[in-house]
Amino acid sequence: MDLFLRGSPLVAVATILATRSWVTHVFLGLVVLALTVPLGRVFCGWVCPLGSTLDVVHKISLRKRKELKKPSPTRWRWVKFAILVGILVGAALGTQMLWPFDPIVILTRTADVALYPLFTIAVSSLLAVMVRVPFLEGAAYRAYSFLHAAWFPLQQPSFRLVELFFVLFVVILALEKASSRFWCRNLCPLGALLGFFSQFRLLHRQVDESCTACGLCRARCRMNAVEDDYVTTSAVECIACGECVSVCAPRATHYAFRKPARSGTVDLDRRRFMGATVASLATVGLLGIGFADRGRRGSVIRPPGALPEADFLDRCVRCQECVKVCSSTGGCLQPSLWESGLIGLWTPVAKPREGYCEYNCNLCGQVCPTGAIQRLPLEVKQRTKMGLAFFDKSRCIPWYRGEDCLVCEEHCPVPDKAIRFDQRMVRRPDGSEGLVKLPYVVEELCIGCGICATKCPVVGQGGIFLTNANEQRWIDSQFSSQ
Amino acid sequence: MNRREFLVKSAACLAAGACAGPWARLASLAKAQPAVDLAVVQGPSPRANVRKAISLLGGISAFVRRGDVVVVKPNMAWDRLPEHAANTDPEVVAEIVRLCLEAGARKVKVFDRTCNEARRCYLRSGIQKAAEKEGAEVPFVLEQRFVKMSIPEGEELKSWLFYRDAVEADVLINVPVLKSHSVSGLTIGLKNLMGILGGDRGQLHHRFDKKIVDINTVVRPQLTLLDATRVLLRNGPQGGNLRDVQQMDTVVAGVDRVAVDAYGAVLFGRDPAQLGFLVEAQRRGLGVLDVKRLRVEKVSLAA
Ligand code: SF4
Ligand code: SF4
Repeated sequence: MDLFLRGSPLVAVATILATRSWVTHVFLGLVVLALTVPLGRVFCGWVCPLGSTLDVVHKISLRKRKELKKPSPTRWRWVKFAILVGILVGAALGTQMLWPFDPIVILTRTADVALYPLFTIAVSSLLAVMVRVPFLEGAAYRAYSFLHAAWFPLQQPSFRLVELFFVLFVVILALEKASSRFWCRNLCPLGALLGFFSQFRLLHRQVDESCTACGLCRARCRMNAVEDDYVTTSAVECIACGECVSVCAPRATHYAFRKPARSGTVDLDRRRFMGATVASLATVGLLGIGFADRGRRGSVIRPPGALPEADFLDRCVRCQECVKVCSSTGGCLQPSLWESGLIGLWTPVAKPREGYCEYNCNLCGQVCPTGAIQRLPLEVKQRTKMGLAFFDKSRCIPWYRGEDCLVCEEHCPVPDKAIRFDQRMVRRPDGSEGLVKLPYVVEELCIGCGICATKCPVVGQGGIFLTNANEQRWIDSQFSSQ
Repeated sequence: MNRREFLVKSAACLAAGACAGPWARLASLAKAQPAVDLAVVQGPSPRANVRKAISLLGGISAFVRRGDVVVVKPNMAWDRLPEHAANTDPEVVAEIVRLCLEAGARKVKVFDRTCNEARRCYLRSGIQKAAEKEGAEVPFVLEQRFVKMSIPEGEELKSWLFYRDAVEADVLINVPVLKSHSVSGLTIGLKNLMGILGGDRGQLHHRFDKKIVDINTVVRPQLTLLDATRVLLRNGPQGGNLRDVQQMDTVVAGVDRVAVDAYGAVLFGRDPAQLGFLVEAQRRGLGVLDVKRLRVEKVSLAA
């Protein structure tokens, strides 16, 4: 998955445009893009994991009805170009808007926070049922322990927004009912980008005289790229999947580096081009006006190594790779809802009450495909401040009830302890007096990891909470990103 | 002795003899009642210290019999290296595992419900590797395997979740590490048993002294072996500074877990009578706190 993300040309182009800097992380994406010029949309036909998923879905759903269908209309093809134009215009203005649309990102996101957890839950529940059956108990526990040790999350993680991600994904799959590769034909901006370059392709579909005009290629073409004469093929739409070659009974079809008589162009007229540009400008403008109140903004705690907020928003493609990897350790990262505004939707934020940043972990920076989270060496990460902890004295047990607790202090991973305490005589609510250890935060030492807030035993809102005060952001030049 | 007493006693003897099979275990334990209450061994090799300490208590066969399932409970709650002294020394754990298997134990399990992410703790404490190498199982704790047990003698807690493998084991050997802890003052053996508890353990921190004793009334390890190879003096329980660690190269073993903890406190330079949870444990009859009343055998092993 990670490799695919780094190899997504759209991610490459949009991040480089949006950040106006060379992003080494996405180099592979540019290679794929460059390959499109000679080879055409080979990526779409042979590599794209979402495309392959759609093909599988299509096969399954069509198993019964083998009859030749009338090729579906081509009138929605322009939509994907419009989306692409919108994204690129946004990127040129410094606002990254590809995250809802990039197919690789969509698939990664869904797999990470919905499909994989669904799978582990299914297996775990099955084993949990097996445990009830007496003679299976031993085997089930053994399988269970093995899976947990080797592979599964030790604790089933939970994510926000899973349902939404899942539904969007299912909608894309369901569109296969309308036509095969509906998404790729009409909506995918990555397909549009590759399609644009593949106009100039050198590898083309060829048809020789033995063609009997049976029409099978036209009917079977996933992309509806073959025209009514069965010979002309749209250079923009054809993904070189080879279906036409394999269905052609007289073997009249093959691919070669030779230019055929005629081939298609990009379906985007000037009016729609302008429309997309204006829509994109308006979106960028509105996002800029977008209001995030101070209270909410203070709770936006970014992973350690995150770039300064504006750059971070430009780089982050919302793939949820960091969220997933974090769920296997401290588990603080979650996709953002509205706390960082619509512009920050689905970006990773730490939720200290749910999970904490593991002191000896720097995985999120390692998996981030765009460098939105920098790869910090562990010693640096351990000094990087994500935020600052504050006691809520009306909820912290020693402070409001006059009884010892100090769970937070116990867990604070800073070797010199960012939580310390004074031992003082206090009068308790019931009138009695006693020596109590009253904790406080040492601001200079606190790195904002949030484990104190995670482990605080107070029910509901904890006795200690975090804001992003004191946060340190890294900039690209502070580290070589590789 | 009057006639009545004589009759009762001889009947008891007869009964005991008749039930020799099932009672053999008790008898052997009684026989093995060691000559010393506490074995304190100091020396450069943690493994040799463990061996010596256990032999002073009558050897491992006094605790583990052929076919037993043994649970060895170290402290491996933190994602720290052995040098940080936040977890039990891996060599100490490994040697105990080896001895148990030598004594014919069917299975030795080593686990802990960790505070940091479990895989990290198991790995970086070095215990998983060392114990597995000696033939122990080192499984991760599964949330589904906690069972609710009532605490009949509990004063604060009437019930809690305990790990099934720990309560079902034939023999439980508690292997804490000696280190500072701000709530309890020190964390030693009684506290180490929190690692077999489920639920929200943070709830145990207030009125800690009573609650930890409540827990210990239900789970009774047959042997407690305190690892003081390296001792975390400050910033416990997880530390992180090497300058907070003192090398003591010592192991303290005993059947009376209150005594072991009390001795650990003395080693640490604390007065056991000032530690609330020990005072509470003695009051509730879990063991003896006054080290002077105990037979302590101290041995120093040369390099
Ligand atoms: S470094 Fe912290 S935030 Fe990043 S993955 Fe690890 S635990 Fe999560
Ligand atoms: S957030 Fe809490 S636990 Fe983390 S460093 Fe600050 S005080 Fe310590």
